[in-house]
Amino acid sequence: MSNLDRRTFLQAGLGVGGLMLSSSLSRSWAQQGDPIKIGLIIPLTGATSQFGATMGQAAKIAEAEINGAGGVRGRPVQIVIEDDQSNPEAAVRAAHKLIDVDKVVSIGGSYASAVTSAIAPLCWEGKTALLTSSGADSITKLPHQGYIFRTSPTVTLQGTSVGKYAVELGGKRMFFLGPQTPFAQSYIDITSAIFKAAGGSGGGLIYEDKKSSYRSEVDQALKESPDVIVLGGYVPDTSVVLKDLYRAGYTGKKLGFSFGINDALTKAVPAEVSEGAYSLIPSAAENSEAYKRLIGKMGRPSLDSYSCQVYDHVVLTSLALARASSGEANGTAVRDNLRAISAGEGKRTDDAVEALKTVISGAQVNYDGPSGPLEFADNGDVKGVFFRYEQVQAGKLTLRKVG
Amino acid sequence: MISYLIFVGTIAGFYSLLSLGLVKAWGQGGLVNLGLVGFVGLGAYTSALLSGAGYPIWIDWIAASAVSAAVGVALCFVVRNLRGDYLAIVTLGFAEILRLAETNEKWLTKGSDGISGIVAPLKNHLGDNFAVFYLVLTWVLVGIVAFVLNWLLRSPFGRALRAVRDDEQVAAVAGKSVLRLKLQAFGIGAALSGLGGALYAHFTSYIAPDVFITQLTIYIFLAVTVGGYTRLAGAVIGSLALIALLEATRFVAALVPGLDAVQIASLREFAIAVTLILVMQLRPDGAFRMSNERSGLGASRPGPDACYGKKAVLDDGT
Repeated sequence: MSNLDRRTFLQAGLGVGGLMLSSSLSRSWAQQGDPIKIGLIIPLTGATSQFGATMGQAAKIAEAEINGAGGVRGRPVQIVIEDDQSNPEAAVRAAHKLIDVDKVVSIGGSYASAVTSAIAPLCWEGKTALLTSSGADSITKLPHQGYIFRTSPTVTLQGTSVGKYAVELGGKRMFFLGPQTPFAQSYIDITSAIFKAAGGSGGGLIYEDKKSSYRSEVDQALKESPDVIVLGGYVPDTSVVLKDLYRAGYTGKKLGFSFGINDALTKAVPAEVSEGAYSLIPSAAENSEAYKRLIGKMGRPSLDSYSCQVYDHVVLTSLALARASSGEANGTAVRDNLRAISAGEGKRTDDAVEALKTVISGAQVNYDGPSGPLEFADNGDVKGVFFRYEQVQAGKLTLRKVG
Repeated sequence: MISYLIFVGTIAGFYSLLSLGLVKAWGQGGLVNLGLVGFVGLGAYTSALLSGAGYPIWIDWIAASAVSAAVGVALCFVVRNLRGDYLAIVTLGFAEILRLAETNEKWLTKGSDGISGIVAPLKNHLGDNFAVFYLVLTWVLVGIVAFVLNWLLRSPFGRALRAVRDDEQVAAVAGKSVLRLKLQAFGIGAALSGLGGALYAHFTSYIAPDVFITQLTIYIFLAVTVGGYTRLAGAVIGSLALIALLEATRFVAALVPGLDAVQIASLREFAIAVTLILVMQLRPDGAFRMSNERSGLGASRPGPDACYGKKAVLDDGT
């Protein structure tokens, strides 16, 4: 087959390139009546992709709801999904495509903190709003000119909540086990401080993720004879740590975060291994109708908080643009109007369609979504988050407390 | 669209620099450096930290290349007796060690939070023209590097290097210093990776250990394989083809109806793999074949290379 010469090879390459160029050029001339594009950069492949599929589905539901209610100022919204490949370098390329080619008004979804930090400068320089579900405290400290909105509680807030709950459960000696992440050391410092203030003691150990056994880490943790172990990892490593804790005969309490102890984990390990583990889940209030409606539409018994946040990213962007007095659909309009539709004295509703109708009628609205009350501080951090405290019982997460 | 093409062109230039370094070390020197991304990270961190300390950018970039080259030479010296697959495994591990060091040495690298706000050269002066400026700058650098490498590879040094690649013992018998040639080839390859990393860091203004994962090494190996792994032109054409493929699949996969987001993302990865299998089937040598380079002394032409077409991808030339 060596009769394919270099010229043919190059011509074929140029042809493919030209095709791509022409197909995208024709779509880039946006006009009034054309859809308003909302970008999403979510992890669909790679190491952080556990929630990618449901994130995409939740966003599609939000898109359908907004368009079913007539869209934003007569224009339908269209979500454009790009995969971050669990890699900041790929995410930067995806963000450039969304901002430069699709001219999206906002980018939602971004999950891993390194991905969010990598695409954040593109967003504020390109005057595109960035709605993120990342937790690292450093993100909202960037000079983002108000373009970043974070719907996930910060690491500090989550660490504090886990620490307080562990004390409440009667823990005296806490030990933290977690992988090297931007927040691992913060978790150790925060939870240890809470235990010391309550008269107990705290320690911790940071391990390398992607290992097949954590026996030596578990042994080191058990040397301190803790009665509470806080697990700071994601599903893949947390499931291994839990198995090793079970083998080592540990009988004390186990607490984790929603990104580590969730439905994916309970399916991945035998029920006796995960039995009794507590999970902290950022959430709306216990009886949030928005959450119940969303899981109903998705046909699922429950949904992770990150997918709820992505749903809200799409709704928040749409509501902000519907309120914009200038009528322009761009990232600055999203930035300037987002706080006005999610907080304040307006009519409180947790229904996206009702909120959209209220905004269009010119009245004030305070939208609360399935991911929480969605009020933002000046730096873009979400305020007043509720947490659901759940516990694994016979392989299923059951609610213990909301607060 | 234009600004997107400018961005993609700049990234293609960044990939080209890395590919040129790989052609130098692997295609011409026979040294499989699967730790390429480690040197990219080393250069990126060196440059970002120096620029954070207030040094001018040209010093940062020279330092980035120098540090990567020095570490590359040191690594190559330590593993001087390893060849082929064994060298590949060691370099792969070395890149992982560098990534773990970047993750854990928080006092220096800010750990997995990464370093943000890395200054871009002249960005405040150029404003909107910065993207074009950086595109031109990147490709001027690629041009200079390709020119110098071309000159080097045509020189006696280049011939001696190829002799080492094809048969170390014969080269040694002929009086060539095999070790020195290997160190030089590996060092130049590492320096170019470091320079590429520095270029990338100042372009995107943010680096973190997670940026420098093996995926990038594999991309560069693919680019060089598609282009022709012994040829400088192959490195550049291969990088352009790779980035066109990576970005074109975004648009093409989205046109397939009836797929959800995960399926589209998976289809993209699938399309990239299938294209590469096709290229390897139809043109196993890549776009630009290995060529016999004459000495330039006007003596009789060498006969055809007896090993031509029989080389495995990770062949160490022994």
